[in-house]
Amino acid sequence: MRDLGRRKLRTTLTILGITIGIWALVVFGSMANKINALVEGGSTYYEGKVSVSDASGSAGGFAVAPMSLSVADEILAIDGVAVVMPDVTMLMDAEGASMSMSLPPMIAGSLAGADEGRETFPLNYAQGRALTPDDEGSSVTVLGADLARQYAVGVGDTFTIRGVEFQVVGVLEPTLTAPDQTAMVPLQAAQELFVASLPPMIRESIDPATIATTLTVYPADGVDPEVVADRIEARVAGVTTMTGKDFDEQIGSATAIFNAILIGIALISLVVGGLSVVNTMAMSIAERTREIGIKRAIGGSRRRIVRELVTEAGLIGFIGGAIGLALGALVVVLANEAGRPSGNVLFELTTGTAVTAVLFSTILGAIAGFLPAIHAARLDPVAALRYG
Amino acid sequence: MTDVTDVTVTATATTQTTATTRGSTTTGDRTMPLLEGRNLRKTYRLGRTNTVNALRGVDVAIEAGEMVAIIGPSGSGKSTLMHLLGLLHGPDLNHGPRPELSFAGQPMVDLGEGERTRIRAREMGFVFQDFNLVPTLTALENVGLACDYAGVRGEPARQAALAALALVGLEERAGHRPAELSGGEQQRVALARSLVNRPRLILADEPTGNLDSERSAEILALLRRSNLAEGQTIVLVTHDAEVAAACDRVIRMRDGRIQPAASPVPAAETLVAGDRLLATA
Repeated sequence: MRDLGRRKLRTTLTILGITIGIWALVVFGSMANKINALVEGGSTYYEGKVSVSDASGSAGGFAVAPMSLSVADEILAIDGVAVVMPDVTMLMDAEGASMSMSLPPMIAGSLAGADEGRETFPLNYAQGRALTPDDEGSSVTVLGADLARQYAVGVGDTFTIRGVEFQVVGVLEPTLTAPDQTAMVPLQAAQELFVASLPPMIRESIDPATIATTLTVYPADGVDPEVVADRIEARVAGVTTMTGKDFDEQIGSATAIFNAILIGIALISLVVGGLSVVNTMAMSIAERTREIGIKRAIGGSRRRIVRELVTEAGLIGFIGGAIGLALGALVVVLANEAGRPSGNVLFELTTGTAVTAVLFSTILGAIAGFLPAIHAARLDPVAALRYG
Repeated sequence: MTDVTDVTVTATATTQTTATTRGSTTTGDRTMPLLEGRNLRKTYRLGRTNTVNALRGVDVAIEAGEMVAIIGPSGSGKSTLMHLLGLLHGPDLNHGPRPELSFAGQPMVDLGEGERTRIRAREMGFVFQDFNLVPTLTALENVGLACDYAGVRGEPARQAALAALALVGLEERAGHRPAELSGGEQQRVALARSLVNRPRLILADEPTGNLDSERSAEILALLRRSNLAEGQTIVLVTHDAEVAAACDRVIRMRDGRIQPAASPVPAAETLVAGDRLLATA
């Protein structure tokens, strides 16, 4: 192992090469983790239900055009539909979202308990309580973990949404997906906020209590959401539906491509790092030809020589991987902290990614050292002794 | 200097592997030589077309307990012979009568590389002209490496290595790297490394070649002492007629062949002068 120290510069450069590769793997891998968590969350959210919105406009699964609550009654009459729950969701920022890699802050209004216990998406409360039907008519909110952290508010504080003050009654645990960026409010409050955002002419003619942006439809037990979605689209005019399967098809495939690109970039940098280990080991072995000759002459077996050199190369890989992981983790933490105020929490470093990165670089180093090591062990000891 | 017998007691316990095979060289009444070679030939390729006949058919026998010098001018094949005897190379098998080489009564010619390496590690000790220590290891670790290769590890190896360094008077320098040692000291470390497993055979290639006469005498005395105290067989290749004269027997080589034993040993001056002439030619 001391041989590593003897050729400091070259070893340092090689370790640096591996470091950069692993750094890229960690950072891009963390980005992929975050995106996967978002998609996973969305997939879980849409599972087992049908989201119905106005056919005239929706963005990323979130409806922006209002629909009349009378549509809910039409849908409820359809065979296989158990519950229809009206929701009003909108962007928190009235001017529209700025360009962002992650989800924008949202306002979500719904009637507490209207799902009749059918909602399966798990929400846990870090502080306070959930919204109840009694909250209807009052200005209270439950904040997602990111929002609470970003604005440094907790239960008992006031949180201003679009100029209206809301009392914070609960804060959610992180979910790593949409709810983290969501302020949950009673349905009535959301309806009023929504109508207030419309142009004055239209505003006059709409009763806030009759609108929703999304209708969440829970199928009856044992009924396939896909079947229900098809029936809704066939019988109700002017609506579009979204199911878990639709979500996976639309978003899931896009994510898979994105993941492949990220991992690809990281792998290319690792191949370069691996070649640099091969180079370092080949050079290092050429320099130590004589030493290998000595070891062979006094009875060091080929196997021993290979083992020593492969271990050394593996160590180079391990050190590079560990430093790359440390730097990658630093970038992930700093970038997340920097992005948090604007809602851009882009990275999630998991234990799996960390362990894989270091393990991968160690194995890569050892494999890269293997061929030069075999070559060295096959040297003629006498010729090697005369070398240099 | 430390008392020799004192040290060997410690070393004995750690080198039983070599001790078990000791004494197996006697078959019936006749004592077999420790090393016996017949028809040893070796041709080296130099570039694409040139070949060098380093050994042109040598018969040689080294008795157990002998201290033998192989002398001869450069290119006479003496180092090649040593490499063959030390199992570092195998003899040529083509173009002539089948070569034979036995060590401790066992045929060596057909052994694989792994087995030859094992015998080198456990039964032989090597000393080279330019010391050939591993530069990144301390004196103690260099000696310990030979123990390791012979299958002795941990504390027994450490004790054996320290004892071997004590034998050559370098126990105080055990923690030093080769670069921090003088040439004479380095060669004594190399000697300790060759002795640490108490091998039957010590092969020394120009062990005094890079040393002044005082250091040469020191090395030679240490070799002779282990030859007498341990009964180790020593084969050394040398240019130096004084070194050769200190041995029990001299094998003279010229042009890849052994010269008849009757030939007188040439004076040191002529030998060295002759070599210089050859080296410049």
